[in-house]
Amino acid sequence: MIWINRVLRAVFDAVLSPFAAWSPWVGLALVSLVSAVGVLWIFKRTSNQDALAAVKSRIHAGLFEIRLFNDDLPAIFRAQTSILKANAKYLWLSLPPMIWIIVPLFFVFAQLQFHYGYEGLRPAETALLTLRLEEGAEELAAGTKPAVTLDVPAGVEVQAGPVWAPALRELSWRIGVVESGDYEAVVGYGGVEIPKSIRSTDRVARLSPNKVAPHLMGQLLYPAEDPVSGAPSVEALEVSYRERALDFLGWQVPWWLAYFVLMILFAFALRTPMGVTI
Amino acid sequence: MALAAVLASLSLFSCAKAKLEKQVIVLGFDGMDYQYTRRLMAEGRMPNFSKLAETGTFGPLATAVPPQSPVAWSNFITGMDSGGHGIFDFVHRNPDTMQPYMSTSKTEGSEKAVKVGKYKFPLAGGEVKLLRHGTPFWELLEANGIESHIYRMPANFPPSGSASFELSGMGTPDILGTPGTFSFYTSDIFVNEREISGGAIYALDYWENRAEGRLHGPENPFLQRRQTLSADFALHVDPESPVAKLVVGDEQRVLAVGEWSDWVPVAFEMIPTQVLPAMGRFYLRSLRPEVELYVSPLQIDPISPALPISTPESFAAELARRTGRFYTQGMPEDTKALSGDVFSREEFLAQAKITGDEILGQYEVVLDDFDGGLLFYYFGNLDLICHMMFRSTDPGHPAYDAERDPEYLKVVEATYTAFDRIVGYTLEHMPDDAKLIVMSDHGFSSWRRAFHLNDWLIEKGYLTVKNPSKVAGTNIYSNVDWSKTRAYGLGLNGLFINVEDRESKGVVPKAERAALIAEISEELLAEIDPATGEPAVTRLYELEETYHGEYLGLGPDLQVGYNKGTRCSFESAIGDLTGEVLEDNMAEWSGDHCMDHTKVPGILLTSGELAKPASSLKELGGAVLAEFGITWSGTSTGG
Repeated sequence: MIWINRVLRAVFDAVLSPFAAWSPWVGLALVSLVSAVGVLWIFKRTSNQDALAAVKSRIHAGLFEIRLFNDDLPAIFRAQTSILKANAKYLWLSLPPMIWIIVPLFFVFAQLQFHYGYEGLRPAETALLTLRLEEGAEELAAGTKPAVTLDVPAGVEVQAGPVWAPALRELSWRIGVVESGDYEAVVGYGGVEIPKSIRSTDRVARLSPNKVAPHLMGQLLYPAEDPVSGAPSVEALEVSYRERALDFLGWQVPWWLAYFVLMILFAFALRTPMGVTI
Repeated sequence: MALAAVLASLSLFSCAKAKLEKQVIVLGFDGMDYQYTRRLMAEGRMPNFSKLAETGTFGPLATAVPPQSPVAWSNFITGMDSGGHGIFDFVHRNPDTMQPYMSTSKTEGSEKAVKVGKYKFPLAGGEVKLLRHGTPFWELLEANGIESHIYRMPANFPPSGSASFELSGMGTPDILGTPGTFSFYTSDIFVNEREISGGAIYALDYWENRAEGRLHGPENPFLQRRQTLSADFALHVDPESPVAKLVVGDEQRVLAVGEWSDWVPVAFEMIPTQVLPAMGRFYLRSLRPEVELYVSPLQIDPISPALPISTPESFAAELARRTGRFYTQGMPEDTKALSGDVFSREEFLAQAKITGDEILGQYEVVLDDFDGGLLFYYFGNLDLICHMMFRSTDPGHPAYDAERDPEYLKVVEATYTAFDRIVGYTLEHMPDDAKLIVMSDHGFSSWRRAFHLNDWLIEKGYLTVKNPSKVAGTNIYSNVDWSKTRAYGLGLNGLFINVEDRESKGVVPKAERAALIAEISEELLAEIDPATGEPAVTRLYELEETYHGEYLGLGPDLQVGYNKGTRCSFESAIGDLTGEVLEDNMAEWSGDHCMDHTKVPGILLTSGELAKPASSLKELGGAVLAEFGITWSGTSTGG
């Protein structure tokens, strides 16, 4: 899983880096377009296109029947029953391609979340760096503050902390960014040095708010950085980046909503040129 | 012929363009005193003011009657006096109930609601009404196609809606609807939870290095039963170091002792799916031996304002996204926390610096964006610092502490020089042909002696109490015998005659009102302060003689112009009685300006001559318009 994530990170970084200085809408529109093409391609190859066309014709026929025989109650009832059956069939026929689509889309979504879901730290901005321990960490049982160190490179400063909050199983520092750049802080805990990326940028860039323990679910959900290794008591190491919202005519919308809406619009626009029945 | 037409149209176009590109910047420095400024300029401590005065004009600017900020700024905005714009004081009184209310705005909830179980669902939004009347001068600019950018103009909440861009200022409430209510939390079990003036003290539940408390919001508008909104917070205290982690909803901050947080968004849940957004700044005062946490008055969040604070309504959020969240409460410097002994002077000054830096930082962005028309930007920091720190500049002040005060001697001066740097910054960043106008609404004075007007009225037999043996500490609304009361004081300068058929319990026939005003005036002018040997009152202003316009009915029959150094006491201003007439002002609030208006003029400093000279606040709006070639005869009444 670590290697899959590394490859995906490299691909998405390469694809999106030309648009890093532009409005997030630009890169997002491009990814939505590519996603729409990919979704249509998968849909075409994993669905029974003839059966889908037939069932859609049946639905259309039912709708016409209702319109033509709107004074014949039994005919309307028959047509509605036919439409409902056809709809159920349509959903059934759509299920296999949807399952095929969900898998790659999940990985795309997970990658995009860390490009568009957060904003990089700005110079003079502060954030929390938090080390969260597993429930079984020995310090929790002993009731002692864990021995921990934090080394930050020039460009980042530790302003306060660490605060030990046993109820949260967390050790937190307040860090501040002095100047823009890509940094790596190192947390020392239990004899292990855990690196953590910290990015200060006003561009669209991959940001990793969570570096998690190396279990599968964590790797699927937080692929933006390699997992914590060699420190079994550590659940996560986090940086509190601000969440990003996209401006749409004065409205603040989450990136994923913009992505899905754009992808659907592109898919509808491209279905005929690509010869796909959806 | 055709060529002439083309040339004419080009000429018209260039005129119109020039008109649009004209820039006038007005900096409003609340409370900047003419005499004090002149002295610092003479001493070379305000070089940018001096530089500007050399090429332009500098002089006193006559303030309003009375010289209170809401009145003064309303004079500037409308070109009228209180009779025309309807603002006579910070507070007015309702003659039916005899209760005071805020003079500049009114908030009303929705009356119609659908009730379901314990919930009620309002059918319409509530309404916030600006009680200041009259046409703002910038409305004429807009009518002439010139953009106006009005930032934090006092007495302009809710915003007038007539400027291109507006942000409301003084008069904007906190999320509770008050002028500002801070919260102070302590783990000290011997401290009682209680409300104090401008704030409240709450207990923290504290065990095993974890303190828990509750932020208090306004009443929940969706519940039939009265219940205030609340949001829990926790403070995780490090067992070894003086540092803690604050958790409020999804927000987390790490604070060391003595540190302030940035703005922390707070969401008060009203019903599932509906939250009231607010925000606050947290100051971790102490962790040991007791946990002490100050929370600023919870503010209207500019990112998602619960009340209208800008024009257009989305402007506050746009500004906040550019500059970061900011204080939206009208007078953000927390004077009440200092007066209530919650803040030390250092803490007050630290908080005032935060507000000052925030407003200055925003000004730099605004000035950078400004590309034509009128920019008005208000700075209130000086006024509130002078209110709280003036005694350190006055060894003759009764509360002057020869050991402590010299340390703060330079605070007021440092604030003046900081404002000088604002002028310098503006001069550096504005185009050469732009006009800069620096003005203040009033001056300042040390406030040494407190005059209890209502107690004076008792002493002179104009106000009668029900229980004469228990005057001190009572309120005129609970202890006054209205059937025998001919006059009462309300507001910082106001004196009302208890007129028959006007006041609900009036006893003075209208025919006797004028004679009674004359009689009281004579006695007030004859009142000598035994401590100083000086008159306590030097000028009186009769309603009909002083004001003009259709709102005379809101004003007091007499405005009292106290001698410089004397002011109406806080107690008397809200109708409280003390049993004393004159006493030393020992409060932290040691400077003031609500006195004889001729003794506390403001300033007017301009780059170059004004197209239309102005000697008073009422004339200044017209002078600003004249810079754009617009003639303003003033609004129809109250000129």
